[in-house]
Amino acid sequence: MASQTVPEGHVTVRTDPVPAEEAVVALHDMSLWYGDFQALHEVSLTVPKNRVTALIGASGCGKSTLLRCVNRMNDLVPGVRVEGRLAYEGVDLYDGAVDPVEVRRRVGMVFQKPNPFPKSVYDNVAFGPRLHGYQGDMDALVEKSLKSAALWDEVQDKLRQSGLGLSGGQQQRLCIARAMATDPDVILMDEPTSALDPIATDRIEELIHEIKRDYTVIIVTHNMQQAGRVSDRTAFMHLGVLIEEGPTEQIFTNPQHEMTERYVSGRFG
Amino acid sequence: MSASPRQPSDAAARAGFGTPEERARLKRRKRIGRAFQALTAIPVVLALALIVTLFVDVITDTVSWQVVEPEESGLTWSFAEGARLGGTWEHLVRLELEARGEEPATVLDDPEERRKFRLRNRVELLWWVDGRPFRWAVTNSRDDTVDDVGLFRGLRERHEILAGLEDGQQLRLNPWFDAAFFRKNASRTPMMAGLQNALIGTLWVIGLVILIALPIGVGTAVYLEEYAADNRLTRFIEVNIRNLAGVPSIVYGILGLYAFVRLMNLGPTVLAAALTLALLILPVVVIASREAIKAVPSTLRQASYGLGATKWQTVSRIVLPNAVAGIVTGVILAVARAIGETAPLLLVGAAAFIPRAPDGPLSTYTVIPIQIYSWVAENDREFAHVASAGILALLIVLILLYVAAFWMRRRFERSW
Repeated sequence: MASQTVPEGHVTVRTDPVPAEEAVVALHDMSLWYGDFQALHEVSLTVPKNRVTALIGASGCGKSTLLRCVNRMNDLVPGVRVEGRLAYEGVDLYDGAVDPVEVRRRVGMVFQKPNPFPKSVYDNVAFGPRLHGYQGDMDALVEKSLKSAALWDEVQDKLRQSGLGLSGGQQQRLCIARAMATDPDVILMDEPTSALDPIATDRIEELIHEIKRDYTVIIVTHNMQQAGRVSDRTAFMHLGVLIEEGPTEQIFTNPQHEMTERYVSGRFG
Repeated sequence: MSASPRQPSDAAARAGFGTPEERARLKRRKRIGRAFQALTAIPVVLALALIVTLFVDVITDTVSWQVVEPEESGLTWSFAEGARLGGTWEHLVRLELEARGEEPATVLDDPEERRKFRLRNRVELLWWVDGRPFRWAVTNSRDDTVDDVGLFRGLRERHEILAGLEDGQQLRLNPWFDAAFFRKNASRTPMMAGLQNALIGTLWVIGLVILIALPIGVGTAVYLEEYAADNRLTRFIEVNIRNLAGVPSIVYGILGLYAFVRLMNLGPTVLAAALTLALLILPVVVIASREAIKAVPSTLRQASYGLGATKWQTVSRIVLPNAVAGIVTGVILAVARAIGETAPLLLVGAAAFIPRAPDGPLSTYTVIPIQIYSWVAENDREFAHVASAGILALLIVLILLYVAAFWMRRRFERSW
């Protein structure tokens, strides 16, 4: 059932479209190819500021690819070709004049598996600011970032110890602190809790609630309950096509498209 | 109490599962497994036995009994008698000169006489002489060796040998591998032959090899792993680097002779040798470094890029620090190979005899393996002991390098 095809020329079903003035990231007809394989089909999606947007869909549906478009991480994959426009506060990120390195400073990323550097907790958080030649008070910045990631109380006595010595959930919050230290506007999360136990997952979800005051979050998740709990808007993708997007409540309780309905009710994917 | 189906009766438990045929088959399978396990252990035992044999043979060969006829006095002094804080040499020479009936001051206070005396005589702590341990002696370079007897034969026949000594002859236990061995140089006389210049030559050459091969090798590895596009040219280069690692070392010698000695006109110098050996180990360094760089998890790279690091920042702050353990181990193992190389250095002009230790990249030189080679080729039977001492020194240098590699790996190793 998972390989059910999407009808040719599918038009994304949108409920309560995000007004342009609230948008921080807006994709217009983004298509992406890995060599000959087309992973994204003309996806258009507007991400509202200081909200959590969840991308859901079966494995291989292109949600991670879409996420990685936003900070141009896909550029690192050999043989990638992108078409379309990705407006970030009015600037097209795929314009030839835009340096992906600069994009990634403004759009932070948290990965599926916690991946702290084999350095101390302090150096992990300070890594990003040091890259960009941060001149201010590094100690204060590290403390602020760790506090924002709700990790300060647990690690304030072990700042000089290896980040690898922390538990899985602490490592993931360290990665979130590390991403926040470069002062981004948007944080991308690629299944951030899939390697964690339920208690650690719970803390991360709480944290996502906290940080959306200051950041715009886009999260990819396989866990439908998680999408329901943490996100304000949800986008459902299938085989590289954005099937439906809208307020999370709407997607889960009253999906407009039959495929979305089957996916969120667990009968497909 | 009747046995439930989950708790088999004692008889059933003893018999195990299955039918008797199945059990017999399992027994046979296990027997075959044990037989093969034993077979795989044989080579390990053999290898260990060979290593032990090698070391025992080399070490015992560095010690021999010698019947000598000291030219001047042949007196020896006990350890307590000869040792003086801050002036054992001076003290012993004084005792020796007094015993010869000369005035010590005429030799010791005149710099020229003192220099001449130093050239012709050595103050030595002898392990065993005339049936007594740890005696001091001022030995003369013109001591005449009457006979040389191996360690074990000497132990067995010590009494006969001692009984057969003529007037003025001594029986000494000579440890060829002693501190003086590293202060002496190539010589026609086995007693005067030592490793000093060769050891210094080896240190010079290897130091330069590391300085040359490390940056070029690691740079090549970083370029190929991180920067080079995956195209035909890159793949061609990769295949050839692997092939070059298997090219016989003498071929590098011919290349070095032509390119460095002749074309660059370096002549038979330390630098030419270092360049040749650096070429020889470069493929190994590149391959080891690439493997180490490859082993750095891509998640770390992604995290670095995700924070807005440039390619170079990622390479220098994440990839290289995490690959350093593998790189260092690879380099040390490659250098260990270079230390033992003889063939290419024969071609690029390592001399068997050099009057002075090398003091710069453009000096003439010799290295330990060349020195051992020339000793082995000598006719004099006692040179076998000298060669053994040289081999022992080479083995110790190699062991030190392997220990360093092990220590560095432990020191730099990261877990993720």
